[in-house]
Amino acid sequence: MHALDPRAKILATAGLVLGLFLVDSIAGFLVVAVAVAALLAASGIPTGVFLRILRPVAFIVALTVLFQVLFSREGATLVEWGPLEIHAGGLRLGLFLGLRILLLVSAAGLLTATTAPVALADGIEDLLSPLERLRFPAHEVAMMMTIALRFIPTLGEEAEKITKAQAARGADFSQGGPLRRALALVPVLVPLTVGTFRRADELAEAMESRGYRGGEGRTRYRELRFRARDALALVVTQLILLVGVLA
Amino acid sequence: MRLELKDMRHVYARGTTFEVEALRGVSVTVEPGEVLGIVGGMGSGKSTLVQHMNLLLTPTSGEVLVDGVDATTLKRSDLRRRVGLALQFPEAALFAPTVGEDVAFAPRRLGLDEGEVRARVRDSLEALGAGHLSGRSPFALSGGEKRRVAVAGVLAMGPEVLVLDEPTAGLDPAMREDLLGLIRGLKAAGISVVLVSHDLEEVAEATDRVYVMERGAVRAVGTPAEVFYRVADLAPATVQTVLALGEAHRGVGRPVRFRETLAALRTVAGN
Repeated sequence: MHALDPRAKILATAGLVLGLFLVDSIAGFLVVAVAVAALLAASGIPTGVFLRILRPVAFIVALTVLFQVLFSREGATLVEWGPLEIHAGGLRLGLFLGLRILLLVSAAGLLTATTAPVALADGIEDLLSPLERLRFPAHEVAMMMTIALRFIPTLGEEAEKITKAQAARGADFSQGGPLRRALALVPVLVPLTVGTFRRADELAEAMESRGYRGGEGRTRYRELRFRARDALALVVTQLILLVGVLA
Repeated sequence: MRLELKDMRHVYARGTTFEVEALRGVSVTVEPGEVLGIVGGMGSGKSTLVQHMNLLLTPTSGEVLVDGVDATTLKRSDLRRRVGLALQFPEAALFAPTVGEDVAFAPRRLGLDEGEVRARVRDSLEALGAGHLSGRSPFALSGGEKRRVAVAGVLAMGPEVLVLDEPTAGLDPAMREDLLGLIRGLKAAGISVVLVSHDLEEVAEATDRVYVMERGAVRAVGTPAEVFYRVADLAPATVQTVLALGEAHRGVGRPVRFRETLAALRTVAGN
């Protein structure tokens, strides 16, 4: 699954996202959930790792479900307890919304877990390239994404270094209320930003001196090849989705 | 103050695939009033070691003692005031609108009154030969000027021990001379200096004792003469010259500093 063409994966995920908004029955959700679980198993990602990807969303899901269950007045009343009412409609809606969010995040998580960032950027660039005809700078957008991804660790290290230097001069980042803490970050954010602009300038010069002239006629070291198995994967996932939507 | 680092171990990224043991049981002592050199190749653990001196990093195991007291029991801001650390390329952390404001950052954090802060800013900038830069923007300075301002920012805290990690990296020889002057001045004022460097010449000129580190462990320690005449691959030019003369000029002795080497060679040449 890791070796599939990123474009197929991106399109499959996009289809899944769209489809999830159209699924409207328990059976449908079950179909999609089983499909996602199967994909997860096929990817070889340990369940523990995957659950960690889902953890940030758990809170939102719980909140959404709770909200729907407690405040929706649709359908037959199931429980009445003073001002609180729980209706069948609320339960159904809450369940659907919760499942939808979980499956959406799982699909996106699967995509990023099985596709290298550079491959993702290449895939997006290719998929967006038809828009070039409409003067949309697809190549530049993809280049920006790739560069940003590549510099995340560099900027992280730089931020750590600057934080240490200011801490050595007595800066304290853990004291005071939110305003105080935000102000305490100025001695880190200012040099970091200045440094980032300087890096951007240096990178631009380096790219130009290595012959970069924009997207015209550029080829790639790693070429994307859409193979039969990519088409198969795409077709299969979309068919399952169709089943889910129609169920 | 006497600063002791006992049996320091430091492991980066423990439990991940990037795990690396940067310090493997290193013990270093900084005696009061001395200038201590720490040399070693890249990856020898020099920077990791000195970042423990003000507890910017905490050891995986080992103790840091300030005058015999466990440094982790001291108030962190007090420790960082008493042990001032200037990291490599400290100018990356300049941030204020003017040089004066930037250097005032640390003294202000100490809660001193404005008059005292201004005096400290003035004195430290002058000690670094940057007194005239007070009103300028730190981002409009040259590399050497920025470096001076950054070090002044640390000196303004009035530390008992000043730790300099590669203070002359990327700077011209004139700056090295100025730095040696600064170190001499600090020593005369009773402030200990720890000089981490791969510039063996500057370590040979300025230090009273040297630790040689290699791959996270101490390879040798002693006076510059004791150390540099022993570790043949890491010797400054002066020592290399004397060693190159070999048997021919035994009478030269073991000079390390430039002037003493020159004097010794002249004496021998005169014979």
